[in-house]
Amino acid sequence: MDMPGYYEFCCPVKIISGHDALEKIPGTLAQLNAGRPMIVTDKGVVGAGLIDIVVNAISNGVKIGAIADTVPPDSDLRIVNGLARLYREKGCDSLIAIGGGSVMDTAKGINIIVSENADDLMRFSGANALKQALRPLITIPTTAGTGSEVTPVAVIKDHEKHLKMAFVSNFLLPDASIVDSRMTLTLPPAITAATGMDALSHAVEAYTCLAKNPLSDSHALAAIRLISDNLLKVTVNPGDRKGRLGMASAAILAGIAFGNSMVGMVHTLGHSVGSVCGVPHGACMAILLPYGLEYNMHKNGHLTAELLLPMAGTEVYAATPKEGRVQNVIALIRRMNQELYEATGGRHARFFKEVLDKDGKEMVPKEKLPDIAETALRDGSIFYNPEDLDYNDFLMVLEAAWEGNPLDTCLIRKG
Amino acid sequence: MHLPEHYEFFCPVKINSGNRALEQIPFELDALNARKPLVIARKDDSERGLVDVIVDAFKDSGIAVGIFDGVPVAPDLKLIRELFNIYRDRGYDAVIAVGGGSVADTAKVLNIAVSGKPENIEGYAGENMIKRTLKPLIIVPTLTGTGYEISRHAFFNGKDYTSHFLMPHLAVIDPRMTIPEDSVTTAATALAALAHAVEAYAGSGKNPLVDAYAYAAIQLIMKNLVNVIRDQRDRNGRLSLANAHAMAGCAFSNVAPGVAHKLGKVMGDVCHLPPGLCMGMLLPYVLEKQVSEGGYHISDLLLPLAGFDAYARMAENLRARRALEILHDLLKDLSKASGGAISRIWKDAQVSEDALQKIAQKAVSVGASFDINGCVKILREAREER
Repeated sequence: MDMPGYYEFCCPVKIISGHDALEKIPGTLAQLNAGRPMIVTDKGVVGAGLIDIVVNAISNGVKIGAIADTVPPDSDLRIVNGLARLYREKGCDSLIAIGGGSVMDTAKGINIIVSENADDLMRFSGANALKQALRPLITIPTTAGTGSEVTPVAVIKDHEKHLKMAFVSNFLLPDASIVDSRMTLTLPPAITAATGMDALSHAVEAYTCLAKNPLSDSHALAAIRLISDNLLKVTVNPGDRKGRLGMASAAILAGIAFGNSMVGMVHTLGHSVGSVCGVPHGACMAILLPYGLEYNMHKNGHLTAELLLPMAGTEVYAATPKEGRVQNVIALIRRMNQELYEATGGRHARFFKEVLDKDGKEMVPKEKLPDIAETALRDGSIFYNPEDLDYNDFLMVLEAAWEGNPLDTCLIRKG
Repeated sequence: MHLPEHYEFFCPVKINSGNRALEQIPFELDALNARKPLVIARKDDSERGLVDVIVDAFKDSGIAVGIFDGVPVAPDLKLIRELFNIYRDRGYDAVIAVGGGSVADTAKVLNIAVSGKPENIEGYAGENMIKRTLKPLIIVPTLTGTGYEISRHAFFNGKDYTSHFLMPHLAVIDPRMTIPEDSVTTAATALAALAHAVEAYAGSGKNPLVDAYAYAAIQLIMKNLVNVIRDQRDRNGRLSLANAHAMAGCAFSNVAPGVAHKLGKVMGDVCHLPPGLCMGMLLPYVLEKQVSEGGYHISDLLLPLAGFDAYARMAENLRARRALEILHDLLKDLSKASGGAISRIWKDAQVSEDALQKIAQKAVSVGASFDINGCVKILREAREER
């Protein structure tokens, strides 16, 4: 563990985890001087019956000001503005976000508007534009993956102006995040698999990319261990409560790790596939993760090799010669994808050509790959990747990940 | 990996560590909505030039810092009243504590006063008596102190204040401030941090987040402590130790204090030894008793203590034993690196049987989880370094 020349680390989010952690919400809100929360969520969460569980758990202690379930799969400025109005009309004093990444982003956006009394969210976009604490925000993740329940980031899209606004500030960090096994028990296997691999990619890139530090490392290692122990189990057996809790903790640990260390090319390419083809983020991460590790191997193979311990345990680690460990880690991640593919009846895609939409149509046509590579060139997340990539490098990686071939190491430009 | 059925974790501390970290303080104060910080320090740290370094770091910021460099080793409420008046009358809005031990404790108690009811400070002593966020507090650790500056504890004037709201908003770790005073003090401070991290990692209150902080702290101390004692010029090693102190404080704040902490603290008081040294010397014996009683996570401890390869190679049933050996070896290596100073102090203390009984009784009365005989046995073994 090397000490970086300079680093910062911070996660002031209170974590409450358990099989009945929701019941702690009234006390937590009271400590924050709040008692009339607005619940922000989406139709899927409501449909799965999760809101009822939360309402039952908290209604003894708090008066719910409003329940808004109109958050779309992709955050949207108009919805943020509308819900901020609702918050004010109903006299709410705090927010509870229940859902995945888009719900968290939306709640953070609402919180900026209602706390700053703003009508133009744009004014607060970018890094560190917020100057004071916002209203109390509690997050309840219903997927175990994005980590946005513990990150200082929100992404809100203005679909009318075709703009994507990013907000980065420690004031966006929630006051508390509640991890309750009841919230992820009904997550379908394919989403469980994709979001779990999303968390794995956060942790692995946090550990192997350039902005790592001792605390992001220790959070990442713990996340990787929990994911290796639990992801396949809960995909095969969704009702495994202990496994669900393990995955939820892993998602938080991975979120804290990458929130404090940044990520690399797996995310760069993943963002781009998502934005050009609309593929869910977790699915992109699962496919790209082994390729990122292969591409960077000549720079950070010694770090990737260490991950064999949390991934495979002491016996495999000790029995594998040092120089074989890195290949073993990459092979293990491919095997995880294969096992998740089998456990989900083929719904968990191993390669981009296997990613299908609801109607069974290919979501990433091969001819889109140049567009994706072009988009990746404009993504800032590449800054902390160990090795540089230009357009041709991105395209080479995408083509391999589309077809499902390992990278040809001769084609990697070693700078 | 140990995953409790229910756990909670809270660590509001932001850590800024490394080159020119002090120069970030003005930006951090701005984010905390503060403009006029009061720097408090001990006279000798001020004479060592540490306060000047901070003042320099504010040079280009347009912020004028106040300085109070008269914090004694054993401060009392009179000092808090004096500091409270300075803070209020001159319009300060944040405290920056330079150095550990009594300075950090004073800063925390002063922060209670300026954030609430100054006339009834001791009313906030005890567990969780503080209910809300206090004013901005920044702690700049040196390598001297209690090893739990960045924790939810303040021990002040015979009272124990415990609340997550006492934790600083920011810990600023800068190589210019981590200048060791003498090897025994540096070792004692680091051993306190090690004991806290180890007892968090191996204790019953552990959870994945406590583990993450404790793991990093243990690893950094194991890798750097002996080197720093041997060669104080090891800049990276010093920075690593100060980081470990902060991380250990965060882990320690999320578990109940362990037996080594409690026994070591009482022993330090009774025998006039550095409490951190006592905690470190007692730690392997406390763990050994816990191993023999089963139910603890001591075999897992081998991972941060020894690293990936040594951990993976060791058979599972031998890991706890090996972890204890490593802790014993660390103490021996430290003593050697300090030119024998550490074991001299330990032997010269000549702790009597009466003192052992007294320490054990007092530790049990403040909640050490062993019985008196168990405590006496540990103290005796540690005294004789068996």
